[in-house]
Amino acid sequence: MPEMGLPHYAGTRERVTRFALIAGVTLVLAFLVAPLFIVVPLSFNNDPFFSFPIHTYSLRWFRDFFSNTRWIAALENSVVTAVFTTVIASTLGTMAALGLARPNFPCRRAVMALLISPMIVPIVIVAVGDYLLFGFFGLTNTRTGLVLAHTALAAPFVVITVSATLSTYDPVLTRAARSLGASPLAAFRRVTLPVILPGVVAGAVFAFATSFDEVVVALFMTSAEQRTLPVQMFSGIRDQINPTIMAAATLLLALSTALFVTVAWLSARARRVKT
Amino acid sequence: MSAVASASFRVRVGDADAIMDATSFVRFEGVRKSYDGKQFVVDDLNLAVRKGEFLTMLGPSGSGKTTSLMMLGGFEAPTFGHIFLDDEPVERLPPEKRNIGFVFQNYALFPHMTVAENVAFPLRYRGIKGRAAAGRIAKALAMVHLGHLGERKPSQLSGGQQQRVALARALVFDPTLVLMDEPLGALDKQLREHMQVEIKQLQRMLGITMVYVTHDQGEALTMSDRIAVFNDGRIQQLATPEVLYEQPANRFVAGFIGENNLIPAHVTRIENGTAVMALGDGTILRAPAATATRSSGASTLAIRPERFFVDTGDTPETNRLSGTVSELFYLGDHLRIAVDVGAEKPIVARIPALQRLPLACGDTIALRCHVHDCRLLEA
Amino acid sequence: MTPDLPTRSQPAGLDRAVRKANRPASRASFSLAIPLLLFLLVTFVVPIVSLFAKAVDNPETRSVLPATVAALDAWPGAGAPDEAVFAAFARDLARAASGRTAAGLGKRLNYEIPGMRSRVITAARSAGVVQAPFKAAFIKLDPVWGDPIVWATIKRDGRRLTPSYLLAAADLRQTADGAIVPAPADQRIFLGILGRTLFIAGLVTVLTLVLGYPVAYALALAPPLLASVMMLCILLPLWTSLLVRTTAWVVLLQTNGVVNDVILALGLSSERLQLIFTRFGTVAAMTHIQLPFTILPIASVMRTIPAAHMRAARSLGAPPAAAFWQVYAPQTLPGVMAGGLITFILSLGYYITPALVGGPNDQMISNFISIYINSELNWGLASALGVVLLVVTLGIYGVFLRVVGADKLRLG
Repeated sequence: MPEMGLPHYAGTRERVTRFALIAGVTLVLAFLVAPLFIVVPLSFNNDPFFSFPIHTYSLRWFRDFFSNTRWIAALENSVVTAVFTTVIASTLGTMAALGLARPNFPCRRAVMALLISPMIVPIVIVAVGDYLLFGFFGLTNTRTGLVLAHTALAAPFVVITVSATLSTYDPVLTRAARSLGASPLAAFRRVTLPVILPGVVAGAVFAFATSFDEVVVALFMTSAEQRTLPVQMFSGIRDQINPTIMAAATLLLALSTALFVTVAWLSARARRVKT
Repeated sequence: MSAVASASFRVRVGDADAIMDATSFVRFEGVRKSYDGKQFVVDDLNLAVRKGEFLTMLGPSGSGKTTSLMMLGGFEAPTFGHIFLDDEPVERLPPEKRNIGFVFQNYALFPHMTVAENVAFPLRYRGIKGRAAAGRIAKALAMVHLGHLGERKPSQLSGGQQQRVALARALVFDPTLVLMDEPLGALDKQLREHMQVEIKQLQRMLGITMVYVTHDQGEALTMSDRIAVFNDGRIQQLATPEVLYEQPANRFVAGFIGENNLIPAHVTRIENGTAVMALGDGTILRAPAATATRSSGASTLAIRPERFFVDTGDTPETNRLSGTVSELFYLGDHLRIAVDVGAEKPIVARIPALQRLPLACGDTIALRCHVHDCRLLEA
Repeated sequence: MTPDLPTRSQPAGLDRAVRKANRPASRASFSLAIPLLLFLLVTFVVPIVSLFAKAVDNPETRSVLPATVAALDAWPGAGAPDEAVFAAFARDLARAASGRTAAGLGKRLNYEIPGMRSRVITAARSAGVVQAPFKAAFIKLDPVWGDPIVWATIKRDGRRLTPSYLLAAADLRQTADGAIVPAPADQRIFLGILGRTLFIAGLVTVLTLVLGYPVAYALALAPPLLASVMMLCILLPLWTSLLVRTTAWVVLLQTNGVVNDVILALGLSSERLQLIFTRFGTVAAMTHIQLPFTILPIASVMRTIPAAHMRAARSLGAPPAAAFWQVYAPQTLPGVMAGGLITFILSLGYYITPALVGGPNDQMISNFISIYINSELNWGLASALGVVLLVVTLGIYGVFLRVVGADKLRLG
């Protein structure tokens, strides 16, 4: 079919409308993507300016990033927090999704609404609540506290992703495994899990990204010692924006692109498995 | 019918007199359609549909029948060739200007509108409003026995009821031509058979021309005035149901419509319009020769299973095949047997149960059929 | 699907028997979700409940002036209290002075009566040296202690719970005699902030719908390869750290930044404009960040609309525009609702972007909560504002659950 599905019998007006649609959509897509990549050339700018044109390129801001103990410590904090968060959130979230996928789950709608509410509740409210309560237990300014808070935020992503995968999983496979002699746990480990694994891994990647990108709770819950990369960036931009932040942003962009590609690949794989 | 009389092995579907037919209402002329620029899904389609006729396009999936219907409906453009509607070429005419009623495979009822609103939809674009519209909607719904369900949403209806709404919507604006794309495919067998009769009655009562696409041969035989059998993008035969069944034009049609024994045979000579053939084991068979039949060479003999009868005599007869019964199924009204006669495939025969023959597997029997029940086809 | 199935009469108690028979399996399913539910209860639900508690919690006066509050029970409320109250007040204040808790009390009373902070601290400093009769001594020290309004305020603040933070969050206050009146004009800011928050969220929602709907439509029309490229453009921003996206906008909106370059190049303005720290910048950045959230639900609804519907509409006589607006567009409404509501809900809670890209007049309710927690140290008011934000958000979430459903949420 020619011109984006325009039928052969289209009249002039229809063709003009379609052309306007294509032009408009191209602009909107440019608006979506272009701003992301603006930080990349600026991070290689030898001069500490945030405007174009760029006269000389250099790696000095990346060197700055990797030689500055504050940035390195922040990076390490972010990675460690995100890894712990991912492990806990993926385990709890996958279990919950497995329960929710069964036909006899009681009050499914209400439970689902509760489970995904951390995505909905304004992040500042979660941050303040955690700050008040965790302070009471002495968990503020600890990595444990941050991991617990991040896990609550990340778990819904796992629940949603794994649930979506399970909706395409044929429960007859489990019955078949059971009829062939597998215990419920063995049926899960040998049959269900391998089939839904792409979904579980995608959920884990979501959980990692959620924790790794989270600013507000970390801002409330951490002191200088547990400061994460996004908090370091946030404080940097608020005080005095400097080119090292551009280098950090470029690194984060590279990481999120890598995570995105992983998930895209996984979902393509999951689709292949399905058909 | 020329297609039958000529009985050429590859039927030229562009039978010239069909195109010249003064009563033709829809005409495809040399229509070809390709999506990928390599392969033609519809190849050299020449077809004339007469006014008031019920014509079915029958064929397996991928045979080009639905694409042909979509071209007629205006949703696809022919790559080559022309389509005429009432002698006007319509290739450039958008669907909304063709005034054709179209019943889609899954009905395409608009889910956000009630039944009545769905039926009112075509009237709105024909300037029919208010009381006139209400009257026509009521009439159309009554016609399909859904007068009481106008305020329901399509999702609140059963499959059969949805089908009727789609029918009412396609008929409410009095189109002279109605196209249907496998409209009964989603219904269960009983309902499907009921709807076949009902649609046929409506078509006759309203005197509309109907082009109907299906892959179900039973449906096609029940409803159609004429059937165009499609395969590989070409019409294999265009004929009435009876001619299609009795005088299939080629192996494909013979195998696709009903059941057939297709027996490889070798024509040795032609005597008074009768071809004489020898099977591998020397059995002699006779069949009416078609004009194009060459006086010698490999060909295929088609014999329907129900045209065989059990020959209890001992005298050698024409078209007598003997062998052992290798399979036997009791099917209530008839016995279905497979008889190994030494050909590459066993012969299948249907023996009416009322003959009460004491048959068992392993028995040796002789099957016979009349010369006029044999059909000679190209190998 | 058959609507007119005959209803057979059921044996009594069948319903219960069915539920009973299902119970073990149903329990097993539920138990899989219990760990996460418990986890969320502790790390998510209880913190939010503690926020609610903090919004009405009123510990300062009770803990600093326990004897005074007890003595005030007998005070009728008219005229200055009697000597017993003042004696208790002197004892409480002396303890507060040694325990350095007087400042907290002063701050608490200052919310109700401006200027009380320094007066309480002065009184506490002298509490060790004043002699009986205490009533005369305190009134001599500062005539304000003879004012019944002050004592009525202390009596009311002595209660365990207070509505005053929640009232303040709604630009109201309670007078000494308990009447609820509008707050003084210079303190009436919170409804304005709530209105601004709703306005910005609404504007962002409308903009994402206007920009996103055509994209979703094009996505539904495009051939598979082009569609997956378009999907990439929509999902990549979603995966990019919020902070990176906000950083990008901080850079773009600089006076010497790219947006100004473009504006100059197109001749839209002859000089460089102030874009960073403006409403324009905030809304542009938020629209950019929210756009994928609006597009995806619309696109997923459009995917389910059979192409046959538009064909049917055309074959029934509808011209192209009518076919689109009468048949296609109404069916996309659930997606528009889902996308719009999600973006509206998420926009209400924005904090980072207004903080970095917005000016003082673009700060949203979340930013004020943060200010009251971190700079003003007024946790009660911060919590009350949190309650307001949460109630508004959950209200709209309720609408979302009702019209869209929790299980319809998908991530790309």
